[in-house]
Amino acid sequence: MGVDREPAVERFLPLRPVEFDILLSLASGERHGYGIIQDAEARGSAAPDVGTLYRALRRLQDQGMIEASERRQARDADDRRHNYRITPLGLRVARAEARRLTALIRAARIGGLLEKGAT
Amino acid sequence: MTRDRWLNLSERWARLLLRFYPADFRDEMGDALVEAYVDRCRYAMERGGAASVVWLWLRALADSAFNGIGERVRPAVAWRRSGNWGMDAQLVIRRLTRAPVFTASMIATLTVGLGAFAMVFTVVQKVLIAPLPYEKPDDLYFVWRNYTWVPLERGWVAGPDVAALKGAGGAIKDAVGLRLERVTMSRGGTADPTEVAVMVSTADLFDILGVRAARGRTFSPNESGPGRPPVIVLGDELWRTRFGGDSTIVGSEIRLDDRPYTVVGIMKKGFRFMRHSSLGPAESADAYITFDTDLARESPNAGAFAVLVRGRPGAAPKAVAAAVNAVASVIDQRDFRSRGLRLDAVSAKDDLVSRVRPALQVLGAAGAFLVLVLAVNLATLLLSRAAHREREFAISRALGANHVTIARATLLEGALLGAFGGIGATLVAIWGTRALVALAPSDLPRREAIAVDWRIGAIVVGVGITLGLLAALVPALWATRTRLVTLMANANVRGGGGHGRMRRGMVVVQVALSLVLLTTGGLVVRSFERLLRANPGFDPAGVLTMRVPVSRDRFPTLQVATPLHERLERELSALPGVTAVGAASAMPLTANVDQTSFAAPGAPGNTGVQEHDKPLVDYIPARGRYIEALGIRVLAGRAFGSARAGARREVLIDRTLASELFPNASAVGALVVLDGADSATVIGVVEHARQYDIHQDGRPQVYIRNEDGGYRTLSFALRTKRSPADLIPEARAAVRRVDPQLAISDVKPMEDLVGESLRQQRLSAVLITGFSLGALMLAAMGLFGIISGSVSRRRHEIAVRLALGADHGQVLRLVLREGAGLVIGGVLLGVPGIYFAGRAVAGMLVGVSAFDAVTLGAVAGGLALVAAAACYIPARRVTGIEPARAFREE
Repeated sequence: MGVDREPAVERFLPLRPVEFDILLSLASGERHGYGIIQDAEARGSAAPDVGTLYRALRRLQDQGMIEASERRQARDADDRRHNYRITPLGLRVARAEARRLTALIRAARIGGLLEKGAT
Repeated sequence: MTRDRWLNLSERWARLLLRFYPADFRDEMGDALVEAYVDRCRYAMERGGAASVVWLWLRALADSAFNGIGERVRPAVAWRRSGNWGMDAQLVIRRLTRAPVFTASMIATLTVGLGAFAMVFTVVQKVLIAPLPYEKPDDLYFVWRNYTWVPLERGWVAGPDVAALKGAGGAIKDAVGLRLERVTMSRGGTADPTEVAVMVSTADLFDILGVRAARGRTFSPNESGPGRPPVIVLGDELWRTRFGGDSTIVGSEIRLDDRPYTVVGIMKKGFRFMRHSSLGPAESADAYITFDTDLARESPNAGAFAVLVRGRPGAAPKAVAAAVNAVASVIDQRDFRSRGLRLDAVSAKDDLVSRVRPALQVLGAAGAFLVLVLAVNLATLLLSRAAHREREFAISRALGANHVTIARATLLEGALLGAFGGIGATLVAIWGTRALVALAPSDLPRREAIAVDWRIGAIVVGVGITLGLLAALVPALWATRTRLVTLMANANVRGGGGHGRMRRGMVVVQVALSLVLLTTGGLVVRSFERLLRANPGFDPAGVLTMRVPVSRDRFPTLQVATPLHERLERELSALPGVTAVGAASAMPLTANVDQTSFAAPGAPGNTGVQEHDKPLVDYIPARGRYIEALGIRVLAGRAFGSARAGARREVLIDRTLASELFPNASAVGALVVLDGADSATVIGVVEHARQYDIHQDGRPQVYIRNEDGGYRTLSFALRTKRSPADLIPEARAAVRRVDPQLAISDVKPMEDLVGESLRQQRLSAVLITGFSLGALMLAAMGLFGIISGSVSRRRHEIAVRLALGADHGQVLRLVLREGAGLVIGGVLLGVPGIYFAGRAVAGMLVGVSAFDAVTLGAVAGGLALVAAAACYIPARRVTGIEPARAFREE
């Protein structure tokens, strides 16, 4: 008897840009809030505002896509931060979103939107 | 400043900004959020110094404001925290669609019940609550003359009164005199003249009301008084119906009573100035013109005007009343030798709705009662549904479902049903109010404004949802409060749960409420039936009535008009099937007659008391065979002959006057004095033909021959052996034959006139009957449900009883006793309600006491019968219980 009550990932799609940014950052390891912003800046996408970011963090937490990591007893200040990490569900959602975006880009290319010279 | 100091300040700033967010968000994410801000500031400090930190602070302010408020207005997030409302909704919808009969009956009940409520609410809101369509309508007052020495509390004021009020100052900002005139309107001499109601006022009427014309303009200040230019402002309705909504009419000429008037403006749709007539119903105008006289120079004795006063903004009603009274005392001294004339100021809206207020209040209360019954009924239904799901609840709880989840699902179910019911009810009300307005009396104030708008729709849907939630609250609480153990026990065993008492209580409440509504309905219906059977003092069957306006310009004096009246009578009498034709200044029941003082010097009934010997009487100029045509009985002497014999002025007096002033003696031949000067001889005594209300006598009456002091414009009455309605085309043609320029209005059978005077009562009776029968039905459904549920639940117990030797009759009585207990409880609870409801409706009852034994008895009997049926039908199922089978099934 299947007790797998994890909701289908499609339910969460499409993600908001800030949500995708978060999942993307966390996919490569734990991060704190400012770290996520820095990652986004490094990737060259527009950095989200702090308030927007934390609302999104809370939403994703509620939906079970990320979780707060246990705070370790700190040696230095950096380790006392509020860190987040991605859950298996979050990873699946992020992948699904990436696939969705790829499909969109493919569609755009077929449709001629991304040809050279097309403005 | 050091770097640390900057960072410290940044942290404090970020903490302050946290205030934008809701508390739960703050608690959970606050520290992390501040951390991120401080990180950002530290980074900015290193790269751009203090300036970029300050720039960051400003951005943080914008960011927090935007997101904080965004978070606050997104309750969905908060909901999701305690579960998944979207999933709950899906679940509830699935559950509801799986029980289509339950869902449909719930929504249908709500639609009908709330729809009825919405209709009544619309009328009450639009007539009693919504402000008048004028600027600052609360500062407007109508002022009436109160002749304290005669019973005339709402007398027209005289011209000088208006002038005095206008110049009073103080709390009175301004005043305008008004007179409604019926004139014949034609356009450029073409045929098809019609009679229209024209409000005559001074030029500042629209300024005082604070309204402007939709097209063209209203009056300019110099456009009233002697020598004023003849200008007219048309009402929207007249403009649309008579002139086809043609804008070019502004500036062109139309004729009123054959005088030219220039159209200067057209009023907005929905603007309709209304005022009460002195004693009769509310009247509204089709068009507006100005006085061509100076009101200040009119006779101080001739009460002929209504007056609208605008109080100074912010002046209390009492201050305005005092200012008006100060004016009154001056007039009283000057014109009435201090006999005690008063001027009464009544708030414009109160004045307008005074006649319909009691009926509307009772209807509104009845509507509210119906909604209460509905709520209880809904709760019962949801509760019984919850009872059916006991096992489901129990299992969910046992599997760890939070009791909050169960409560939430139940509440959501109620709200959803309520919302659908509310939407249905709004649709019902949109159509219903249209029908209602068509049925409503034509003098219902603000009739044209009565329609469901989006606000009322929203309120009705809101009430629906509230009802649904309230109704669901009971089962929801029950489901959460009950301990799991009990729940399991109840679900397993055939006994009823603890909620049984709650359900029974609700049925008792339902019975009580419907009893109150039923008695109210019964009383109103009885009262209406009395009205239908009332004898108005004349015989309305077989009578056709019509008004023939005769203009002052073409017929300047009564002497010129009288031959016209005679020709009209001759022509109408010649119509086949017509047996008598006559005319009078106004038809009975229209409250449109004048008053005069009456004295009979030397009459045996004189007592020496001024009020008794010189009463104010209704003064009815009549001519031809009016008395015969209306079927008013001649009690002594004779009626007017077709032609006057000699130069003697003749009057007829009514039964009331005869019995007051000539008790045990014949009044015929007595000499009487009208208006203190005109003497005349009584030639007959006639029955009192009621002028105001169909169920009660009005003022005493005097009929005088029209040619001795009457009017040009008369209402004609034709008695016919044919159907009066069939006679209408021929009667119109006959009038045209006499003079093609005459307009005809108010052509209708007398029975229709009687019907119209009863419209309000008829409507109240129909509505309230509907409400109370609806409530009775709901209560019966409740009883039925309880008894049938009880039979199911007690199946086992009954089987045991049967097995132990009880016969079916005994167990049937056992079940019925339960029902009887509920009904008796309801009746006991309802008795105080009957008392209060009786006191509330007493004002609108006619000829029936509020505690009429017959009505109360009949209602009790009816309720008992319905209740007995509602119990007996489900209770009979016990006879189908066979102990052996019942045990086997378990």
